Amino acid sequence: MYHDASPESLRYVGQGPARLESKQKLTGQATYVADMAMSGMLHARVKTSPHARARIIKIDTSKAEALPGVRAVVTGEELDYRLGLYVVDKYILAKGEVRHYGEAVAAVAADSVVIAEKAVQLIEVEYEVLTPVLQPLDAIKEDAPLVHADLGSYDYFKPAFTPQPGTNIVNHNKIRKGDVEKAFTEADYVIERFYTNPSVQHVPIETHVSIAKWGTDDQITIWSAAQSPHTVKNLFAVAFKIPHRNVRVQVPYIGGGFGGKAGIGLEPLVAVLSRKAGGRPVRLQATREEEFSLLPCRSGLQQRIKTGVSADGRILAQQMTQYWDAGAYADYAVNVQRAASYSGSGPYEIPNCWVDSYALYTNKPYSTAYRGFGHVEFHWGIERHMELVASAIDMDPLEFRLKNLLRPGSRTITGEEITPHTGNVIKCVETVAESIGYGKLTDEEKEREQRTGRKIGKAVAALQKAPAMPPFTAASVVAKMNQDGTVTLNVSLTDMGQGTYTSLAQLAAERLKFPLEKVHVAFETDTDRDPYDWQTVASKGLMLSGNATILAAEDLLKNAYEVASQILRATAHDMDHDDEKIFIKHHPGRSISFKEIAVGYAYPDGNGIGGPLIGVGRYIAQGLGHIDKETGQGLPALDWTYGAHGMVVEADPETGEYTILKIASAFDVGKAINTGLVRGQAIGGMLQGLGTAFCEGYIFDEQGRLLNPSFTDNKIPTAMDLPLEVDAYVVETAQIDGPYGARGVGEHSMISVCSALGNALQQAVGVELTHMPMRFEDVWRALNNKTPIDNWITKSPVGSCRSAPELRRHE
Amino acid sequence: MKVKTTVNGQVYERETVPYKTLLHFIREEIGLTGTKEGCAAGECGACTVILNGKPVNSCLVLAVEANDAVIETVEGEGAGNELSDLQAAFERHHATQCGFCTPGMLMSIRDLLRRHPKPTVEQIKAGIEGNFCRCTGYVQVIEAVLDATGQSAKKGELKHVS
Amino acid sequence: MNRAFDYRAATSFSEALGWLAEMGSNARPLAGGTDLLVNVRAGLMTPTCVIDLKPIPEITTLSFDEGEGLLIGAGVTINEIIESEVIQQQYPLLAICAHQLASHQVRNRATVVGNIVNASPCADMAPPLLCLQAEIEIQGNDGARWVPCATFFTGAKQTILKPGELVSRIRVPAAMQGAKGGYKKLKRIQGHDLGIVGVALAALDSAVHIAVSSAAATPVLVKPFSRTDDLGTVVAAVCEAISPIDDVRCTKDYRLFMAETYVKRLWQEVVA
Repeated sequence: MYHDASPESLRYVGQGPARLESKQKLTGQATYVADMAMSGMLHARVKTSPHARARIIKIDTSKAEALPGVRAVVTGEELDYRLGLYVVDKYILAKGEVRHYGEAVAAVAADSVVIAEKAVQLIEVEYEVLTPVLQPLDAIKEDAPLVHADLGSYDYFKPAFTPQPGTNIVNHNKIRKGDVEKAFTEADYVIERFYTNPSVQHVPIETHVSIAKWGTDDQITIWSAAQSPHTVKNLFAVAFKIPHRNVRVQVPYIGGGFGGKAGIGLEPLVAVLSRKAGGRPVRLQATREEEFSLLPCRSGLQQRIKTGVSADGRILAQQMTQYWDAGAYADYAVNVQRAASYSGSGPYEIPNCWVDSYALYTNKPYSTAYRGFGHVEFHWGIERHMELVASAIDMDPLEFRLKNLLRPGSRTITGEEITPHTGNVIKCVETVAESIGYGKLTDEEKEREQRTGRKIGKAVAALQKAPAMPPFTAASVVAKMNQDGTVTLNVSLTDMGQGTYTSLAQLAAERLKFPLEKVHVAFETDTDRDPYDWQTVASKGLMLSGNATILAAEDLLKNAYEVASQILRATAHDMDHDDEKIFIKHHPGRSISFKEIAVGYAYPDGNGIGGPLIGVGRYIAQGLGHIDKETGQGLPALDWTYGAHGMVVEADPETGEYTILKIASAFDVGKAINTGLVRGQAIGGMLQGLGTAFCEGYIFDEQGRLLNPSFTDNKIPTAMDLPLEVDAYVVETAQIDGPYGARGVGEHSMISVCSALGNALQQAVGVELTHMPMRFEDVWRALNNKTPIDNWITKSPVGSCRSAPELRRHE
Repeated sequence: MKVKTTVNGQVYERETVPYKTLLHFIREEIGLTGTKEGCAAGECGACTVILNGKPVNSCLVLAVEANDAVIETVEGEGAGNELSDLQAAFERHHATQCGFCTPGMLMSIRDLLRRHPKPTVEQIKAGIEGNFCRCTGYVQVIEAVLDATGQSAKKGELKHVS
Repeated sequence: MNRAFDYRAATSFSEALGWLAEMGSNARPLAGGTDLLVNVRAGLMTPTCVIDLKPIPEITTLSFDEGEGLLIGAGVTINEIIESEVIQQQYPLLAICAHQLASHQVRNRATVVGNIVNASPCADMAPPLLCLQAEIEIQGNDGARWVPCATFFTGAKQTILKPGELVSRIRVPAAMQGAKGGYKKLKRIQGHDLGIVGVALAALDSAVHIAVSSAAATPVLVKPFSRTDDLGTVVAAVCEAISPIDDVRCTKDYRLFMAETYVKRLWQEVVA
C-alpha cells in the first residue's frame, strides 16, 4: 500500500520519532504484570521435576495442604486438559509421567510467596526414574524410548503437520526441487559437513508472569506477559471447553518477549489454582531459574548439508537433513522446523534441492519460537557451509556468495519466483562487505596485528526470512476519533519493546494527514476491547497490522467525509481535509472541523447526524497456501526480508580468545518507517545473536538435568561485550503490498550473526568451526585440532559449577 | 521490624518482616514499582537503586539493613512530570525498548555521572556493565549518555543505501 | 526473599560471637550479603537468623601504617579497595583484582572478607591476598588469632573456620608494599563473570609470588619464585601445584593451558 509514495510527500514515514510510551518507561510508571497486585491476590509456586523422564508413582500433598495460609494445591491427576498450538500434547501439570527436567508436577496458591514456597517443599513426589532420550539423533532411532507413546491419539493441525505415531518424530517436512542425486554426479565438487546448535534461552528481563481470576459462572480474566492475547484466549477456551466470550486476556507492558511469550504459558495453571481457591486472583511469576526449564527454550538443531558445485563455483545441488530438538512438547517447535525446511537453503538459488526436516521429541525442556524462528540455527550451518565450500574450491567466499545469491528471475526451493520487488540480498551483502573493507587489512589493522600479536579476519554472512505463519493470518485495527479530533487506535498486536505501536501511529498519522501527536495507540491490550490479531510473532506485525492501520484510517476518513458531505452539501470527491477540518476544495472557507463531527454532529437546532467516528481496518495475508506435503512446493512467504552482516574479528592464535572490532549489518526493509526503531532492532538483535555465538546454550548432564539454569552459568552479553564499532544499513526495495513499501525486520538482525563470527574467525586464524557456541575454548580446541566439546550433554563430573540448587545440594 | 527510610526525598516508616529484601520493600511496602526484579540473584541489575549514594542491587539488600538509609529510585530521577536531561536523552535516542531494565540502568548512569560528569564510552560501558539489557544492544544507551553529558548530540545514524 | 529468617544487628564482635554460640549453625553472619542472600534464596543455606556485622564500628577499618601494614576490616567493600589511594599506590594488585570482581553494584556491597570466607575456588580476592602474604584474623569465643591466608582454605567452599568463629580483619604485611602485580582472568564474556581460571602475580625485589584461582578445589598459592628463575621451571611448578577439573564452564585441558599461558604472559609483563 502506497509503496510508491515519494519521500518528499511523506511527513512521518521514514522519520525517527521517539516511541509513544517512552515517558512511561523512563519514569518507572509503565505497569508490567510483574508490578500488578489486586485485592485478595494469592501467590503461587510450582513443584518441578528433578528428573528428565520418570513415572509418577505417587504425589502426597497432605502436608502442603495442612500448612496454614495454603489456599489451593493442584496436581496433574485432577486436570484433564491438554494444550498445544499445533499438536495438542501438553497437560497443564505432568500426568502419569514427567518428560523433562523442570516440568511442573504440582502447584500451590497461598497467602504469600514464602508460604507457597514452603508448601511446595512439603509436597512429596515418588518417581520411578526412567532412562531419558536426550539427543535428537538418538530419538530418531527405531528402538528409542518414546517420549509420547500416545502420539497417535493427539489432535493436531492437519494441513501443515504430520506426526508419526510410534516414533519420536512429531513432524517431518520434505522439499523436493529437481533431482539432487543426478546433479551430485554432475558436480565437480561435493562437500558435506555436519553443524550443531544447542538449545538456548530467550532471557527476557521480565520473566514469565501471569495473574488469573476464575470467577463465578466461568468468567475468566487473565493478566499476562503474553505476546499474543487472542491466542492465549483461543487455546484456553478450547482446552477448557468454555465459550470464548467468557475468557478475557489483558496484556499491559511486557518486559521483553523474543518469542518466548508467543504462545500460552503459565495462564492455565494460575487459572485452575484460582478456580480451586474460590475465585481469588492468583499470581505466578517464574523465577529466573524456572525461566530456563519450566518455560520453553529455543530448539537445538543438528544438520547435515551436502553441496555439489561446479568448477566455476555454481551451486548445482544441495541436500539438507535437519534434526530439530523439540524437547518434550511440540509447542512452536514443529512450525520452527517447518519454516526452516522451506527457507532452509538460505538466500541462494539452488536448482536441485532436497530437504528433510524432522522435529523430534526428546526428554529436554520443550522449545518454542525465538527471534529468528529457526533461521538463526539453520543459517549457522548454511552460512558456515558456504564459507567452507568456497574455501574447499579455493574461491573467495564473497565472490562465491555473489555468484549464487537469489536475484530477480531466480526460483526459491519451494518454486517461488523472485521479482525485482522481492528485496535485494546482493545489495545487502555488497554493502556490508564494503563497510568492513572486505578482502584486505588497512594499515591501521596491520599495525594492530603487529602490536597485539592477534590476527584480524573479515567475513560476511547473508540471511533471509519470511513470516512463518498460517497462510491466512489476519489482523485488525480499530481507529476511534475522540471528541477533540484526536484518534485512538485499538490493536491486539502487542508492543513488547519492538516499537510497532509507534510505527502504527506514524502510518495512521501519515494516512490521516494528522500530526503524530494526535494519534494514540492504546497500550495494555485487552481481548474484550481490542479487535483480533493472530499473534505478535514472525516479524509480520508491521506488515499486517500496518496495512490494517492504513485501512482503518481510510475507513475513518470515509465515515467522516460522509457526515461532512451532508453538512457541507458537497460530494466527497470535491472535499479534502487537513489536520483540523474537512473543507470544500473549491471553497476552502466552507469547512467542518473534525472536533464537531467526532462523536456525531449537532445542527444549531439540536438535530444530530452521523454518530461517533470509527474506522475499521482488516487485513489478511493473501495468495499464500499450505506447501505440498510431498514436494514442499508452494507459496508460503508473505514477504522475504533479506540481510547480511559483515564482521571484523581479532583473535589470539595461541589462546583462542577473540574480540569483535566491527560489525556492519544491512537489511532490505522495503521502507524504514521509523529509522530509530529500525536501528534499535538491528543493533539489539545483533547483540542477542552474539550472545548465542559467544557462550549461551543449555548444558545437561547424562541424566538430562539442566546444569546452567541461571545467569551464573548462562551469561548474556553486557555493554562490555559490544563490538568496538557497529554500523546499521537499510536497503529499501519497496514491498508492493507492504505499508508504504515496508516489510518486517524484528527478527532478522539476530540471524547469521553467529555465522559471520564463525566465518571471520576462520579468516583470522583458520579454524573451521561447525558447532555453536564459539567459546574461547572452542576456538582453542579447533586451533589445536582437539575434539570439540560436546555442547549438549556433558560427561563432566559433578563439580561446583552447577547452578541448579538441588544439584548442588546433592554434592 | 520497623524500617524508616528516605526514598526520593520522602520519609517512609513501615513495619516489615526481617527477610524482606529492599527491592520488595520498595515495591510492595512503599509502592514504588519502577524498580524491577530480573533475577533476584544480583546478576542482572534490573533492581539497581542508589543506597546512601551508591548503586546496589536491591535484591541483595535486606530492608532492615536500609533502616535510616537514603535511597534514590527511578521515580526520583525526573522533577515532577518533567524528564531529567538523562531521561530526555534516552527518549531522543531510542535508548529504551521493552523498558524493563531501564529504571535500573538509569540509576547506574545517575551514579556514573556523579563519579564522571563527562564519561568516556569506556566508562559508560563499565558503568552499565552490571545492567543486562536484552533489547537495545546498549549502543543507543551509550549515545544517550554522551548526549545528556553534552559530549555529542549526534544521533546514531541508520544508513540508507542508495 | 522466598524463605523466612530472623535478623539481629550486632554492635560488637563479642555480641555477634555470643549469638553464634547460642544459635549454632542456625545463625549466619551477614556483611555484604552478596553471597549469603543468594545462597539463602537458592536453599543452599537455611539460617533461621542472620547476624548483621555492619553495625560493629571497627569493621569499616581500612588503614595502613609502616608497622602494621594494611588492615582491612570485615566490612570493607570491594569498591573501597579500588578507590583506596594507599592500595592503588602500595598494593596495586589488590585493586587490579578487585576490579575484576562482579559488577559495580555488587562491588558496592561485597566485602573482601566475605569473598575470602565464602571460599569459592574462583574468589577474585584470594589470589592477590595469597600473593601478598596476607594474614587473616579469626575471632572466636576463646579470643582472636592470626593465620596465614595460605592455610585458610581447606576445600571448595571450606575453610579452617570452626563453628561460631568469625573473620574480623585481614592484614597485608607492610613488607609487601610496593609489590608490582598483574591478574589475568579467563571469562566467558567481557562483562562481569566468574573466573574460569585466574592467575595473579606479585613481584617485589627479587621475589615473585603466583596464585591461581578456579584451578583446584581452593585458590592455590604456588611456592615463591625468584626473578632469576627460568620461566619454564616456573610454569612447570604452577602446573604441578594446580589440579583443574572439567565442568560446565571449561575443560581441565583448557584451564591448564590458560594457567600456563597467563603465567608466561604475566611474567613477561611484570617481571621481565
